[in-house]
Amino acid sequence: MNRKDSSPLDSQDKPGALPSWAERLLKRIMAPHLREELLGDLQEMFYQRRQQHGSFKARLFYLWEVLLLLHPRLWRREAAVTSPSYLSHLNHYPKPALTTMFQNTFLVAWRKLRRHKSYTLINVLSLSLGMASVILIFTLVKYHLSFDNFHANKDRIYRITTEFHEDKIRLNTGVPSPLGEAFRQDYPVAEKVARVAFLTKRVVTPSPQKRFEEDVAFAEPAFFDIVHLPLVLGSPMGRLQEPHTALITERLAKKYFGEQNAVGQTIRIDDSLVVAVAGVLQDLPRNTDFRSEIYVPFSHLKEHSPGLVEKDWWFSVNKQMQCFIRLKPGVSAAAVNDQVLAAISSSYYDEKMAKFFRFKLQPLADLHFNPKLGGYTEKKNLWAFAFIGFILIVTTCVNFVNLATAQALGRAKEIGIRKVLGSQPRTLFWQFIAETTLLTGFALLLAGTVAYLTLPLVNRLFELELALNPGQDVSLLVFLAVLMLVVIFLAGSYPGLILARFQPIAALKGKLSQKQIGGFSLRKGLVITQFAISQLLIMGTLTIAHQMRYARRADLGFDKEAIVLLPVPDVNKAKSNALGVQFSRVAGVEKVTFCYEAPTSEYSPTTSIQFDARPEAEKFSIILKHGDHQYVPTFGLKIVAGRNLYPADTTREYLLNETAVKALGLTSNQQVLGKQASINGRSGTVVGVVKDFHNKSFHAAIDPLCITTLSENYAMYGIKVNLSSLATSLPQLQKAWDLTFPSAIFTYRFLDEDIARAYQLDTMIQWLIQAFAGIAIFIGCLGLYGLVSFMAVQKTKEIGVRKVLGASLGNILWLFYREFFRLLLLAFIVAAPLAWWLMNDWLNNFVYRIELGSSIFILAIVLTGGIALLTVGYQSLKAALTNPVQSLRSE
Amino acid sequence: MKGEQLGEFEELVLLTIAYLYERAYSVAVVEELSQRLERPLSLGAVHRTMQRLEEKGMVSSHLGEATAERGGRRKRLFTVTAAGEQALRDLRRIRHELWTGIPTAAWGGRL
Repeated sequence: MNRKDSSPLDSQDKPGALPSWAERLLKRIMAPHLREELLGDLQEMFYQRRQQHGSFKARLFYLWEVLLLLHPRLWRREAAVTSPSYLSHLNHYPKPALTTMFQNTFLVAWRKLRRHKSYTLINVLSLSLGMASVILIFTLVKYHLSFDNFHANKDRIYRITTEFHEDKIRLNTGVPSPLGEAFRQDYPVAEKVARVAFLTKRVVTPSPQKRFEEDVAFAEPAFFDIVHLPLVLGSPMGRLQEPHTALITERLAKKYFGEQNAVGQTIRIDDSLVVAVAGVLQDLPRNTDFRSEIYVPFSHLKEHSPGLVEKDWWFSVNKQMQCFIRLKPGVSAAAVNDQVLAAISSSYYDEKMAKFFRFKLQPLADLHFNPKLGGYTEKKNLWAFAFIGFILIVTTCVNFVNLATAQALGRAKEIGIRKVLGSQPRTLFWQFIAETTLLTGFALLLAGTVAYLTLPLVNRLFELELALNPGQDVSLLVFLAVLMLVVIFLAGSYPGLILARFQPIAALKGKLSQKQIGGFSLRKGLVITQFAISQLLIMGTLTIAHQMRYARRADLGFDKEAIVLLPVPDVNKAKSNALGVQFSRVAGVEKVTFCYEAPTSEYSPTTSIQFDARPEAEKFSIILKHGDHQYVPTFGLKIVAGRNLYPADTTREYLLNETAVKALGLTSNQQVLGKQASINGRSGTVVGVVKDFHNKSFHAAIDPLCITTLSENYAMYGIKVNLSSLATSLPQLQKAWDLTFPSAIFTYRFLDEDIARAYQLDTMIQWLIQAFAGIAIFIGCLGLYGLVSFMAVQKTKEIGVRKVLGASLGNILWLFYREFFRLLLLAFIVAAPLAWWLMNDWLNNFVYRIELGSSIFILAIVLTGGIALLTVGYQSLKAALTNPVQSLRSE
Repeated sequence: MKGEQLGEFEELVLLTIAYLYERAYSVAVVEELSQRLERPLSLGAVHRTMQRLEEKGMVSSHLGEATAERGGRRKRLFTVTAAGEQALRDLRRIRHELWTGIPTAAWGGRL
């Protein structure tokens, strides 16, 4: 329900409010001059009816009215004042011959289309559906390809990233903090080098009453020489050169200071850093991955987040600490990778560590498309997407060709006469193209409308703000024009050529055979393709749905239900401990743990481990989970050997998981108990072994892992609550929070939601494939319908003869079905192995996955078979029920 | 009765507009007519008819006041034009002539 749209009246009676989506639908399609009165009328009638009949009936009536309103009158524009027409003036003179001919061609085409209404309808529907999908796909793909392509010299902009070479290679978007300086000082290959630390969700206070959570970037001045983020206010010189300055975007300036001049205003960041706004940046374009809207000088990072730079050493890499460069013209990235960055590794590390720490340039254009380095998605997904669009267009054109050639038989006489009267094949060809053009034109209009109406849905799905604006977007216009031309010629030229080649005498005698219509087997092949695509998509949908259900329902090895995660803004130990005690006193709270992060998380710190008396550190690195002694019980982890950590924070104790025990080469859990281990450079005793749990999504294997206390790293409360009292517990948690951290924002999330987010991309793919499967099946059905009508026309006489000779209805229907089951089976033979291969490939992205069973394949063929049966049913039944007298009389 | 023809429903709507005089707008017409015809009418149908009548020059319209139950939107008030009045009068005359012309015998002697 959209609150903005409702009038003061319905605030008294919430459940009976107007269904605002219907109103939004009307708003989208109706002519502007009708809008005010009509919407007013609807609303008035709604309230009257609600008083008379109650809100449920009133809503029904309302929807009914809206449905009946959908009429061409609704989108008719206001009649313009007609001036003496230029065209009517022309009418008094003889028109040039070419115009007349052109008009005539289209007039004939128009009449043809009107006469064959069902044919026109099927074609327009299938074409527009295909085109609408393609328009949406185009918009989406174009949007993603346009990411960060507006920076000057974008080809020379790179981010330096880190590769950790151990038993496998891990990537990190960050670099050690001194690397930027070293790169700048020692190697003059870059024009500009800038270090930036992107910190997410900091508390920003522009005035005492206002608190916001924003992403804040600590940037060196050169950053703004590298990326193109122009200023609209403030001096262009000296951006972030002075300490205690800040740049914010226009959007934030408005949010913080309204209409006042933002320049010179002060804001506080995390209650510690006070900065004055020195300039206002233009609002960020949508297509950039630089989402920070507040920039402050890099030099403040030391006081704000000492953890990031305090250890001014080469051994810590944080993904937030990034380094951007613009190379000098003529310097190649490969040379920098091989020489400069390799030299940095070898001169700043000892021999062993130089092998471990490697640095690579990542081109700006790769930022959006490298999921391993925090990018959105891989480019190949976009291309796969575009390919699906292409397939959809091809199938619609196939339908068109199928239907048109089926029709050709019926039109043989017309064409024969035209030829006898002296029409050239060329004229006939263009006649057909004109028909196709008209059809495609309608379809394009319809497709545009459909795309426009479904765009909000796509935006919600992908969390985007795409817009369709053919008026302003030249590339979209060009795309539409090309799309239209391609469809016209793909769909129109083949039937056009065939029609034009008819032998007039044969055509007039009605003796055209299937050979002259051409390529029946070709069209069968195309139908097989359509079937195969539908089956492929159905199998894909089923597999993905299965895997997702498996991931949702599987035992992760820890509790994910009813756990609230509460990130803490600062690590003042006394405050935090007090808060923990307060939390545990809240009614409905069962357990509280203070920890670094939840058991499952994509970003966990890893470190080396040296076990027992072994002389060297292990080859593998181990994941560290910091949490207090309540960590294990709160998240419901199981101890399989030894005991849990003791509450004391002073003695160092370690819990390992079973994978870690195995990685150490030990055969029994008992063997690690009581042994010393040096993890992250601190030695302690292994006191217990926890049962393996999924510490990442099902895409990744379970890592060797260690749970230990380290209170200075704790940043989050994990609170196990009783679900039934959640509604009362949460406000009390907030109350306790507000007393302890009055200036911080209380943001909580549920662990199970967090986990679901890890499968967001998979969920999206599932949704998309479902949508495409639906569209492909629908288009495929239209194609089938076309082919059946063709067969029905062809077999008229055969059916007549068979009936006269005593064939039953069933015999005749089988004549059709036999044909289609054959096609269906052939399609299955093509689709099944392909689907098996593709789906196995996709499933291989998961370490924990389902096995492909035969049920998916059986279900797919049964589904398509059923749908095909329904589609074929009507036409074949009609053919079978025709009185043979009629079909045989023409001889 | 030259030029534009009036359909039956158009005539009813036009009459209702005349009947409602200064209160004639779509919702009022829908209510009045559905009560008299004893069947529910859709707003869309009435709305379209009124648009058509306006295009034919039978009625003219202007935007009236806004009320809260309309969500602050104004209503469009209709008045019958001289042409509309003429058309209605013509129709009434023709009907009247026909009625009076029906021979008594036609309906079994009852009239």
